[in-house]
Amino acid sequence: MYFNLFSFAWREAIRSAYWGKSLATNIGLGLLAIYFMVSFLFLGFALPEIMTKGFPNADPVSKFNSFLLGYFAIEQIFRQLMQKLPTVSFKSFLLLNIRRSKIVNYLMVRSLINFFNILPLFLLVPVAFKLVGVSHSGLATASWILATFILVLSNHFLAIYLKWRFNEAQYGFFVLLAILVSLFAVNYYGIVDLSGDLGKLLDLVLIYPALSLLFIVLPVLLYGLNFKYLISRMFLNLFLETQKEEKVSDYSWLNKMGDTGRFIALELRLIWRNKRPRSLAIMTVIFLGYGFLIYRSVDGKELPEFIFIIGGLIVVCMFSISYGQFFPAWHSNYFSMLMCQRLKMKQFLQSFYMLVTVISVSCYLITLPYALMHSKVIYTHLAMLLYNLGVNIPIMFFFGLYSKNRLDLNQSSMMNYQGMNASQWLARLPLLVGPIGLFYLFKLAFGVTGGYIGLGVMGIIGILFHSVIIDFFSKQYLKKKHQLIQNYKNS
Amino acid sequence: MIQIQNLIKAYNKEIVLNIPELTIEKGEILGLVGNNGAGKTTMFNIVLDLIVASKGQVISKGINVRESEDWKDFTGAFIDETFLIGYLTAEEYFSFIAGLRRMTKVETNEFLEVYKDFFNGEILGKKKFIRDFSKGNQKKVGIIAAFMGKPEVIVLDEPFANLDPSSQYKLRKLIKDFSARYGSTFLISDHTLDNIADVSTRLIILEKGKIVRDVPKTDTTLQDIVAFFKPVLEPDLY
Repeated sequence: MYFNLFSFAWREAIRSAYWGKSLATNIGLGLLAIYFMVSFLFLGFALPEIMTKGFPNADPVSKFNSFLLGYFAIEQIFRQLMQKLPTVSFKSFLLLNIRRSKIVNYLMVRSLINFFNILPLFLLVPVAFKLVGVSHSGLATASWILATFILVLSNHFLAIYLKWRFNEAQYGFFVLLAILVSLFAVNYYGIVDLSGDLGKLLDLVLIYPALSLLFIVLPVLLYGLNFKYLISRMFLNLFLETQKEEKVSDYSWLNKMGDTGRFIALELRLIWRNKRPRSLAIMTVIFLGYGFLIYRSVDGKELPEFIFIIGGLIVVCMFSISYGQFFPAWHSNYFSMLMCQRLKMKQFLQSFYMLVTVISVSCYLITLPYALMHSKVIYTHLAMLLYNLGVNIPIMFFFGLYSKNRLDLNQSSMMNYQGMNASQWLARLPLLVGPIGLFYLFKLAFGVTGGYIGLGVMGIIGILFHSVIIDFFSKQYLKKKHQLIQNYKNS
Repeated sequence: MIQIQNLIKAYNKEIVLNIPELTIEKGEILGLVGNNGAGKTTMFNIVLDLIVASKGQVISKGINVRESEDWKDFTGAFIDETFLIGYLTAEEYFSFIAGLRRMTKVETNEFLEVYKDFFNGEILGKKKFIRDFSKGNQKKVGIIAAFMGKPEVIVLDEPFANLDPSSQYKLRKLIKDFSARYGSTFLISDHTLDNIADVSTRLIILEKGKIVRDVPKTDTTLQDIVAFFKPVLEPDLY
């Protein structure tokens, strides 16, 4: 029976239209996965040396053990952001002669096959051989590996359980974040040495290998928690979104701005009421603080120029790039309706342009205080802002012509590659690498300041000609409309 | 009102629609029936310039729909739920469409007032997004939105499907009244034969992309089309 369920899942994955169409996405993800695995492997081999050099007075093994809690905390955050919940379209199974508990067990077991559970092994196994195994017996090392891997699995089941819960209450993630931060503070200021305690526990495992068997209690308990949660909710009415009153915000004042205002109101509702664009917006707000990370100069040294370009891109242009790269697929679900309406393609593009302009300019103004860290931010960000409005937006319009996939608006955007295809991957390249390359070209010719002026001037030219550009693209979009409709229908 | 000339739509050399000549007069309610794959939706999509015909053209009120966009001024349509914007409430959706159709707020409210009975108190004033509506209520929103701005041509693909029985009867009356009042031309397809026979003034049966019957409605129309679609003739036992 389990075999059957697994084979269904396999077919679901293989036969989904998404699989074949997004080869580029899969290759990209595969490369990313390999990158992480190789990095972990290298880290694992390098760790013994790092530990002995960094902490010459401590026992490297117990020092490593004392860091593990921090690793698990960070892993938990990444799991929350990226790990997918194990789901199965169980609706069709409910009527069949399969016990509910069987479906739940299947879901839980299947969820174990996950990148996050495999990745730590690339770190732990080399550490076990190069660090732990050197000073401990084979049995001790094996039980150490067992204990840490059991902890990884516990983290896995905890992540899933929390994710189910957070699905019901979306603020949950931020509560978790707050708890982890306060635990970090408690630990950091030495009020309670949490990570040290876990470290000591693992040290004990090395002395009494049998202790590792006790660790199994943790994942078993968490599994039980998950099981109880799922089995009590495996009814259609509980699983489907509960009918609730929506908070309906009013944007009707925008209607006074005519057709463009009407479309901006539509875009705002789109962003605010759908999970995927909303999480994009939230990420934009969070990343406004990215400057604190990137602009911190180490030992008072001058920062390399590309840091400022990247900083400008992320802080000022993040929203327009991440939102714009899917233009016009945000409206893919009702694209044919729009094409039946009396609306000028021009207004459609123009309202997008206006929205992005307003948001980018606000991001620029909000992040001006970074000038207190580096006064040049005033003009480096301005150059990026102008470049974004003048050059990046036309590029996004261009790639939008080749938009292929319908977007599912109700999935979170983090690590979500639904609706991604080669054109989006291609579009990212000029959007991100373009300004850096151009800057260094200009810098070669006119010096550092000239580099920023060059980017700014390119942007200004684009802005001055924006109505010509929009006219041009509205004609292109009209020509491409049938292709777009067909693409959205078939994906 | 609408002329279809030498229209052919083929996918990979397989012809799915082939209409050499069809003229629809102003004020006609054209009922389109045919089994799955007969080409009804394809024809509507071509009339709305959502897909490109392989050959031939559609002239709507003198405008070739491929060449100009001006037909959008006098055409309303509801093909399927992809015509709805799921994350809006019904009111917001209506006011969005009303804006595109140059209706004022007062006009919109008066317009919606007329369809209160059809909505059955389940659509307006609900703080609920269209995506959370039942299929039938979604359909109602789409159909009424297609009526906005008194369009001269209204295209409805299977409007009766998913509607409850009472709403089906109400919709029959709505379509007939609207056409009588504003002289609008309707293109309607459906699988429920008695609905389509009741509502339309002219009936076309499509089969494998071709028009096989084209008759004005008479008292015996329903029996005729039922006879056409019934696969097996039952022996007369009594």
